Amino acid sequence: MNANAHWLDARRAEAANRFAALGVPHRRVEDWKYSDLKSAIDGANDDAAAQWSLAALPDGVESFDLAQADAPDWVRKHFGTLPQNAMASASFAQARSGVALRVTKAAAAVRLAFAEAGSARGLVVLEDGASLTLCEDFETVGFTNIGVEIVVGANAQLTHIRMALLSDAVQVEEYAVRIARGGVYRAHLFNGGAKLSRAEFQIALAGENASAQLSGVSVLGDGAHADVTTHVVHAVGHTTSTQLFKHVAGGKSRAVYQGRVTVEQGADKSDSRQTAKALLMGERAEADLKPELEIFADDVKCAHGAAVGDLDDASLFYLRARGIPEAEARNMLVRAFLEEAVDEIADEALRETVWASVEAALPKAMLP
Amino acid sequence: MRTIMLEIKDLHVAVDGKEILKGLTLNIAAGQVHAIMGPNGSGKSTLSYVLAGRAGYDITSGTIRYNGENLAEMKPEDRAAKGVFLAMQYPVEIPGVTTLTFLKTALNAQRRARGEKEFDAMSVLKLVRGKAASLKVTEEMLKRALNVGFSGGEKKRLEILQMSLFEPKLAILDETDSGLDIDALKLVAEGVNTLRSPERAMLVITHYQRLLDYIVPDRIHVLAKGRIVAEGGKELAHELEAKGYEHIVGKAA
Repeated sequence: MNANAHWLDARRAEAANRFAALGVPHRRVEDWKYSDLKSAIDGANDDAAAQWSLAALPDGVESFDLAQADAPDWVRKHFGTLPQNAMASASFAQARSGVALRVTKAAAAVRLAFAEAGSARGLVVLEDGASLTLCEDFETVGFTNIGVEIVVGANAQLTHIRMALLSDAVQVEEYAVRIARGGVYRAHLFNGGAKLSRAEFQIALAGENASAQLSGVSVLGDGAHADVTTHVVHAVGHTTSTQLFKHVAGGKSRAVYQGRVTVEQGADKSDSRQTAKALLMGERAEADLKPELEIFADDVKCAHGAAVGDLDDASLFYLRARGIPEAEARNMLVRAFLEEAVDEIADEALRETVWASVEAALPKAMLP
Repeated sequence: MRTIMLEIKDLHVAVDGKEILKGLTLNIAAGQVHAIMGPNGSGKSTLSYVLAGRAGYDITSGTIRYNGENLAEMKPEDRAAKGVFLAMQYPVEIPGVTTLTFLKTALNAQRRARGEKEFDAMSVLKLVRGKAASLKVTEEMLKRALNVGFSGGEKKRLEILQMSLFEPKLAILDETDSGLDIDALKLVAEGVNTLRSPERAMLVITHYQRLLDYIVPDRIHVLAKGRIVAEGGKELAHELEAKGYEHIVGKAA
């Protein structure tokens, strides 16, 4: 993409150097302890280009194919400017496929899909005061590495519904998000699980009254793996972040949540809440929940919690004692557990779409 | 001669390998209200849980027959469908399941198990509303998650609402009076009294005589250390209140 653009060559070269220094993460890298990418990809082809597709764009949204030359100013201004970890560096250095979106006002929903194997990049820019709902889904195979940068301008609002249905793929996604003053970023993740799935969010609350609201569910049957890793940085004060992740793991599956919240020096009056819970449906399922707080400011409100368990015996008995058969009672309790996180989606139609995927994945996830 | 509905014979029950009930014998006929009184740790709640079929309460010997059937072999949901109801001492909070949805699901599950026609949502709502008002169960409570944020009194009133909705044959009330002030107690007792009928047996488990002033039993059994140590008519409650458990338990030992 942008074959003759020096600015891009320079940014790519930096990314390539970073990746060369860091290498493909493996389980001895602390952040990748629960998701051994190196052994999962085992020599997969990095050079392939994952494909992207966009549904018709609503009024107020323009797109740019990142494989084309002559990128417009808004692409040059933002593309490759947000922080990149090892795999984000890899996708930035290697991707020859990608799409950029720019939103200039209150716009309707956009559907973005990634497919096939390989690397791809995305860039989503919301100008000041703009708003958008971005529905992202995948039909990937083999090994996919997708890096997306999201720039939320002042008082702009992005609702990001990211749906990853069950697949055999190894899929790594890195989302780097920067939220300006008064901006709101809401993300909801659905994970049906994959051979290995890792969705990593690096979120900077960069202006006062910026807010990030993350929620999601993983509904994993035998053999599935889903890793949600988040790092929210309260860079300035009067910023808020909430996280609510629920996981149901059956068979031999693994649900991972690693969430780090950093409140930087001087970021007083920051408010952060973080909850991760997992229900294990059998002896072979595993959940690794790791919420972390790093606080360098004095006057902050931070709460975090994590809990792993199986269905509550007392609740199950109560329902059965009232005549509800065991299988139905278990179903009710698991649904109620997941519903709390899905209810974070304000829009009813979107919520129902996500819930339909939950329903489809549940029967397998409830098997021990 | 009345038909015996619940027949417990020399029942021994262990929890985590520790024997709690040590040879309990008790018969209740249809139409009768029996009370079990006893100090803390006497095995009252164990008896209620073993009758409702909670896991972890192991019958090591003895029998429980309910309308001639072996109750111990039945799943909790089958017991409920056959008319056994336990109003629990600590009703469980279930976030994410609204009270009305729960009532509908439970009622229809019982009806399905009995081969009866299920109710649609509208019929259930009508039925529930008809019974809820007298127990001061509000519309707002019905919309909330089951027992979540309910006061002690609200939880107990909801238990009695369920009892009136499910119309059980054998109702066991486990310390329904605990945590209730006198007004709430009267309300709950009134709800229970309305359900007294010649076809229904009740077992009222309580620590205090107070509840039995409002739900007057036909027979009182005193449970201590896993056995029935004294039996009598309703006047026994007052004797216990006046002289204390030690007096009677001591005499029996």
